[in-house]
Amino acid sequence: MNNGGANTQRNNSQTQERRPAVDDFGSAVSRVAVAQICENVGFESFRDSALDSFADIAVRYLRDLGKAAAFYANLAGRTECNVFDIIRALEDFNFQGFSGASVVSNCIASSGMAREIMEYVEIAGEIPFAYHLPRFPINRERRLVPSFDRMGETPPANHIPSWLPALPDPHTYRQTPMWNKRKVDPRADKIEQVRQRRKGERSLLDLQQRLSTYGPVGGAINSDYVLAENAEGTQVVGGNPFLASPLVAGDTGMPVVNPPDVPWVGPVKDNHASVLETFTPAIEAMRNPLFDDDDGDGMCKILPAERPAVRFKFRTSKKVLGHSLDLDLQSRNIGKSVPVIVCQEERNDKKRRAEYILRQSMESSQDLTQL
Amino acid sequence: MNYQHPQPQPPQQSGEGKHDDDAAVTEFLASLLEYTPTIPDELVEHYLGKSGFQCPDVRLIRLVAVATQKFVAEVASDALQHCKARQASIVKDKGNKQQKVSALYCSLLTSII
Repeated sequence: MNNGGANTQRNNSQTQERRPAVDDFGSAVSRVAVAQICENVGFESFRDSALDSFADIAVRYLRDLGKAAAFYANLAGRTECNVFDIIRALEDFNFQGFSGASVVSNCIASSGMAREIMEYVEIAGEIPFAYHLPRFPINRERRLVPSFDRMGETPPANHIPSWLPALPDPHTYRQTPMWNKRKVDPRADKIEQVRQRRKGERSLLDLQQRLSTYGPVGGAINSDYVLAENAEGTQVVGGNPFLASPLVAGDTGMPVVNPPDVPWVGPVKDNHASVLETFTPAIEAMRNPLFDDDDGDGMCKILPAERPAVRFKFRTSKKVLGHSLDLDLQSRNIGKSVPVIVCQEERNDKKRRAEYILRQSMESSQDLTQL
Repeated sequence: MNYQHPQPQPPQQSGEGKHDDDAAVTEFLASLLEYTPTIPDELVEHYLGKSGFQCPDVRLIRLVAVATQKFVAEVASDALQHCKARQASIVKDKGNKQQKVSALYCSLLTSII
């Protein structure tokens, strides 16, 4: 069914500008219903305005019916309407009259009106409504502002009773300082944490293995151990014993490592190095068990990028403990995307672990020397 | 509209007739449950609620809907007759075109209502 084309008063622009009225939905639905009835009667097209008016009239009729029926019910002392109330209301609204209208006192049920309606139902075909409608209007639950009592607050002034709704929070009307939170990615954090733990555990395990293998060597602390602290490294970690140079390859049965590509640059300490500093190269070495298997090509991933590059020179005549590696970290750091700044907790954790390992190795070496 | 209509049910009718009428009405109301009026129940309930009509019974809602539908159908059929009469009187080139434009709604409806 098409609307009267030429006279369409409702184009899209107008509907968009018009604010929604209260009864838009109801009126739209009634328009559809009325249009369906008219189509059934025989009409083939409509003017928009005609349809609107007709729907309006139908709605007005409906409402007046309800009003009249309610009136009759109230008149009889009831609040809920009856079929008889409706029939009386229909009789009132009937324009063309019905048989038996002049008869005042007869049974309502046999009134002409009722009969007419029954006839209509039988005659007229059933035309169900075109759309499925929900119950409307939909009542939304209003979220009330909780009272002072409910919130557990005391009203700010004496004149405000506590059963009144609470005052809004200050951040809603005033700009309060905010924490500048770091963006947290819990999944990535967890992955990183697990990875670091795994690394630490692996290094611990390897260290223990090596200490058990090369036990007797532990007592001899070579004074020729050198501490390599790369100039670049110090600026980042500032004296971290982990960043000391690893042990030199020796001929005590340890695998010989290829000399590094770059000559070692750094301070050389001839005096006795502390035990911690001595063993940290071993720890460093332990952290990279894969490199033991490699032939020391040099391209091993060792420590996170925050560690400075450690370079050293191997002296084959010295006794060494542990395994030296080509720790040309600088070249390796290029490929890394790890942030340069080391987390404090990470360093402390590693320090603790290293100390623990050293203590253990000290005890074991002491035992060995006593043997 | 004159609302002063006598209310009471007179006992003068024979009991049999009364029962017949009552039966007819109850039967009719029962049949309403199967018949779906064109005007949806939700719409009728909405507008009846607005005017103070309190009724939980679906059959009465349907009755009102049917009554409104009857009214609308009557008006529409009258309008159609008027329209056809007008078309018959005015000879047009388009001839037997089936278009029945109820553009005379103002005059139509006022004459009908």
